[in-house]
Amino acid sequence: MATLPPFDADLLRRYDRPGPRYTSYPTAPQFHSGFGETQFRHAAQLSNEDPIPRRLSLYVHVPFCFSPCFYCGCNRIITRDHSRADAYLSRLVREAAMLGPLFDRDRDVMQVHLGGGTPNFLAPGQIGELLETLSRHFHFSQSPSRDFSIEIDPRFINAGDVEALAFMGFNRASLGVQDFDPVVQQAVNRLQSVEETQAVIDACRTNGFRSVNVDLIYGLPRQTREGFGKTLDTVVASRPDRLAVYGYAHMPTLFRPQQRINEADLPSAEDKLGLLQLAIEKLSAAGYQYIGMDHFALPGDDLAVAQAQGQLQRNFMGYTTHADCDLVGLGVSSISHVGDTYSQNPRDLPSWEIAIDAGRLPTWRGLSLDADDVLRADLIQQLMCHGEVDFAALEQRHGIEFETYFCHDLLRLQPLEADGLVERSARGLRVTSRGRLLLRIIAACFDRYLQQPQAAPSRFSKVI
Amino acid sequence: MAVAALNPASRRPLPSPAAADDGDALRFCSTCAFSDACLSQGYDKSALMDLHVLVEHVGPYREGEHIFREGDEFNAIAAVRAGTVKTYVLDAAGHEQVLGFHLPGEIIGLSAISQSRYPCNAVALDTVMLCRFSFPKMALLATRMPGLQAQLFRLLSEDIGKASLLAGDFSADERMAAFLVALSRRYQRRGFSATRLHLTMTRTDIANYLRLAPETVSRVLKRLQDDGLVRVERRELEILDVARIEALALNVLRH
Repeated sequence: MATLPPFDADLLRRYDRPGPRYTSYPTAPQFHSGFGETQFRHAAQLSNEDPIPRRLSLYVHVPFCFSPCFYCGCNRIITRDHSRADAYLSRLVREAAMLGPLFDRDRDVMQVHLGGGTPNFLAPGQIGELLETLSRHFHFSQSPSRDFSIEIDPRFINAGDVEALAFMGFNRASLGVQDFDPVVQQAVNRLQSVEETQAVIDACRTNGFRSVNVDLIYGLPRQTREGFGKTLDTVVASRPDRLAVYGYAHMPTLFRPQQRINEADLPSAEDKLGLLQLAIEKLSAAGYQYIGMDHFALPGDDLAVAQAQGQLQRNFMGYTTHADCDLVGLGVSSISHVGDTYSQNPRDLPSWEIAIDAGRLPTWRGLSLDADDVLRADLIQQLMCHGEVDFAALEQRHGIEFETYFCHDLLRLQPLEADGLVERSARGLRVTSRGRLLLRIIAACFDRYLQQPQAAPSRFSKVI
Repeated sequence: MAVAALNPASRRPLPSPAAADDGDALRFCSTCAFSDACLSQGYDKSALMDLHVLVEHVGPYREGEHIFREGDEFNAIAAVRAGTVKTYVLDAAGHEQVLGFHLPGEIIGLSAISQSRYPCNAVALDTVMLCRFSFPKMALLATRMPGLQAQLFRLLSEDIGKASLLAGDFSADERMAAFLVALSRRYQRRGFSATRLHLTMTRTDIANYLRLAPETVSRVLKRLQDDGLVRVERRELEILDVARIEALALNVLRH
């Protein structure tokens, strides 16, 4: 999967249909309320009982943003009232105190990720307090491969703050950019200069961050090849280690902030494809490797290295090198992945607050994977991360006979084979370079839940 | 096996068949603890019938369900047909002491023979199926079937041997290696894979059985993994270097 995929507009157009992003399998719509606090506690206890229990990855969701970006589909609360951060933090402290004791002390925390919303809505001092709390209730690894990462809105942070974050142990940053074109910035209500962005990237570098990621979005209102091309040139010039180029999914009924986007300003499907092509060409020319889905990385970055070694994984935070950890989520709407279970906190702040205040774990919904789920999750992970499935390895891990077990799924795959997206041999499946931009479509052939009539595909964004 | 694994509702399949082939009126289960003793000595159908008469298939017991408790009246021994059974006692302070793990083809309840009450607790670690033998009837049959009697003595002797295994002054690595080698040999004897083990017991149970701290169990396994002796993924353990792990276990197992 090392080089960038070729671009075939006609093919992409034909396959531009809704599909899950497979940050988990089964996907979040399958989570149900029958999985609650009791089930989560049991899963945590069981996860301590593996011969070598998995290490831990902590995700903390900070839902607050200073101002609304209109494209956003994330769970967030717009406010300028800083006191809300204090109240939120004090409950995070209580949640950590409830969660920590559920996990044995010899389970090192290998990854802490602060996501949002805008994690830097919290002042550096508050983030420090949060980390100190987490380190009291969990055991932080001292390994050099430990990742402390934070999503940063460059408009609300200065070099001194970045230095403070580095001092606390943060070594990865992900910066939201989307597009530098002022016309687009106006249309999505996110005004952000190249200079302030570059200053944050520089500060990360100066302070020894191991990796800087930049998020871009194509398909935004009033976006043009010319403007987005300039953005790509600007971003590439500052050489972020990783780049995510997301397709904008306009689903205003699902994401209310998007109702403020003028639909007439959105690029046509045709133009949107052109923007993606432009991104792929420019990143390719600049030496970036295509990791999968929306992600690109420089060849020396941990993601590219992990992919080359067959160690790459995918979870709710996207591609990662630490998905062999149990993931424990804190904060509103956060998702946990402990043992063979997924679970999620309430998406609305009051429900989360009520649970914490009552001394309960706020688990809202989730699911326990059965043997079939575990098998399909493994298969989809192989497809999404390595573009390959080795039948013999999968058969050995799960005690199945591939072609018999997946006979119906393989029928669904046939048209994709005919279109040259994926090749099937007696030994395995391999996603072709043509198919690499359509990983979700290929993976969806193996999604048991999409084959059920009650599945509502409109919950998922389109592929491109 | 293939058919069972194709059922999406079934739990994660084991690396080797989880359950024995069930026997019928004239055929033993594939894991039967007594079939060899009988068949090898050419017992006729009526002898087999006699044996089957005193056999009762029971279960399934679900994970965590007790099969018998300390002090229960003893009237039967049982062979495990599928799953794993843990036996344990509680000490004066109420702390659990794990006595052993019983795999398919192995017998539970032998230690009760002398007392008429079970001296320990037996609990299912996963879905367990048993084959229960009325002990008085079996003892009677053994007087007519010398092969059966010899097999009973053999089982008793093995049971005593297992208990003394870990009594010596051994290092944590030696204990763990011995545990894995013994498990591997026991699975192999019943026709399962000798190198791919599905560990149904929890880390706490393994630690308790080996008289180690749970963190030590993991630390030792990590070390064995780093040294290339085993590979561990969740509850699946693969022995990669049989010779080296057997050498490490030698002090404890003595063969």
